[in-house]
Amino acid sequence: MKRQVPLVLCFLFGVVMCFTQFSPHSFSQSIYDEVVYWALIMAPFALAVGTITLIQTHVIRIRRRTEHWQYSFVVFAGLLTMVAIGLPFGPQHPAFAWLFNNVQVPLDATMFSLLAFLIASAAFRAFRARTFEASLLLISAMIVLIGNVPVGDLIWNTVLSWLPWDNGASEARQWILGNPNLSARRGIILGVSLGVISQAIRLILGIERSYIGGGD
Amino acid sequence: MIKTIQWIVVTLILCISVSTAFSQGLSPPSNVTAVDTANDNGSSITIKWDAAAEDSGISGYQILRRIADGDLETIGDLLPAGTTTYVDSAIEGGTAYTYVVRAVSETEATVDSEQTAPVQGTGEWFHTEKTSLFIAMLLFSAAIVWNIYDARSGKEVFVRRIPGLEAVDEAIGRATEMGRSILYVLGLGGVSGVATVASMTILAQVARRTADYETPLRVPCNDPIVMNVVREMVKTAYLEEGHPDAYNEENIFFLTEDQFAYAAGVDGIMVREKPATVFLQGSFAAESLILAETGNSIGAIQIAGTDSEHQLPFFIAACDYTLIGEELYAASAYLSKEPMLLGSLRGQDWGKVLIFGAIALGVILELSGITWITTLLQRVN
Repeated sequence: MKRQVPLVLCFLFGVVMCFTQFSPHSFSQSIYDEVVYWALIMAPFALAVGTITLIQTHVIRIRRRTEHWQYSFVVFAGLLTMVAIGLPFGPQHPAFAWLFNNVQVPLDATMFSLLAFLIASAAFRAFRARTFEASLLLISAMIVLIGNVPVGDLIWNTVLSWLPWDNGASEARQWILGNPNLSARRGIILGVSLGVISQAIRLILGIERSYIGGGD
Repeated sequence: MIKTIQWIVVTLILCISVSTAFSQGLSPPSNVTAVDTANDNGSSITIKWDAAAEDSGISGYQILRRIADGDLETIGDLLPAGTTTYVDSAIEGGTAYTYVVRAVSETEATVDSEQTAPVQGTGEWFHTEKTSLFIAMLLFSAAIVWNIYDARSGKEVFVRRIPGLEAVDEAIGRATEMGRSILYVLGLGGVSGVATVASMTILAQVARRTADYETPLRVPCNDPIVMNVVREMVKTAYLEEGHPDAYNEENIFFLTEDQFAYAAGVDGIMVREKPATVFLQGSFAAESLILAETGNSIGAIQIAGTDSEHQLPFFIAACDYTLIGEELYAASAYLSKEPMLLGSLRGQDWGKVLIFGAIALGVILELSGITWITTLLQRVN
């Protein structure tokens, strides 16, 4: 019973929501909007579950004195401070906004800026010309890099001035991005789309049911 | 008396404006029709009229609307000359409307078209322009369902070798031999994301193997609902493999919903615990390389998979194995070897053959100057 009910609901909602995509009538659109609205009801429960789990995890860390357990106090300090300001005064309060803009945003930006260095280290490994494919990747990447910078065409026109093409760097970059790159991307997107439909059919028909977990 | 004077003034103004209009050769918009907009929910009416000649002196059009026996009211802004269509989206269902299109000259002289017949907005039950898409969906779904049930008869389904999935056992075995944990990262998607569901089905297979080997499996989650579902799935896997005592609920935990805080948290776990194997499966965005490079730096064997095509190059550069696009959705069938799931893969391939056939046919027809297939696809779009 614990497995049958979710499977039946999944089938019913899957089929109905699929057909609402083909019916512009206000009745079918209202069903679609209503079901999407129901999904929003889960958000407060998810928030409660998330907060409780987070507290449990860090209480256990402190109790067991696991490695770097002291940082769990930082989690609680952050959680309590934001709740203490946000709950009575709302997210528009200057103190709440100050904490968000001066703590959360810079921390996010710090993590994001790491990408620049990580891209360099990953590219260094990926572009080592050990095989034919890696060499091809290296050459393509160099052309795209040179074509992307304003000085690229100047280098091309100066160093390769004997070639019959002007501004070849940006044109070569455009050709690589618009032809082999785009073709490969579209191939992947086609495969992904078919995979998504196939996965959806398996879920709707109840063939793929491992996500339901146990219980009869 | 006052009413009589008002009537005379209004009549005079009308006469002057009409005479001015005709003196400038301004002709009323012709063939004005108002019809219920096709393929909508009944919330709009489309008004059409013929284009005026270039030397007609018209500088714009104003649409006027009347409900039943009410007065004419102006709706919308002045439309530029050359406009021949207007969609009135501010209508109420069950109410009949009539329309007049007013031509306006540069000197603000006006002339009105004839009033259209009354029309009501009606919602359509089926979007006729999506017919070809609907048929394609039915055909593709039928192909998958046929192959699923055909596979039940016991016919062997060939699946090409996918190195990333072949390596799953090796990766789990490595962690077991090294006495270290396995880290499974589901990405940023919620439980409604198809990639996340696909990732969870792979996790169920991984959990069966870690249950057998009694290798710790750590799953930091980005979404509390995903966490609950994953806990239930992994618990079931451990129970079915006969190792319920090896299941530890604390190993599947909620970290944060914030993208980069999640990346920082997972990186911290990688650096502190140094898992021997890292699975990065699901929906990823800019944090993909932050996670993959950290995993690489601790020497973990990494198996990644995502349907986000922009993140694939990062995973290919930083991970040992990468499931590209659809391979993520094939993983569950590949690992479980269940005939019905394998059958759905064959159905997918039929769909691909159909699409590639349509592409080849479209290219040949387009090169021959026949454009109907392109027109059809543009209509679907």
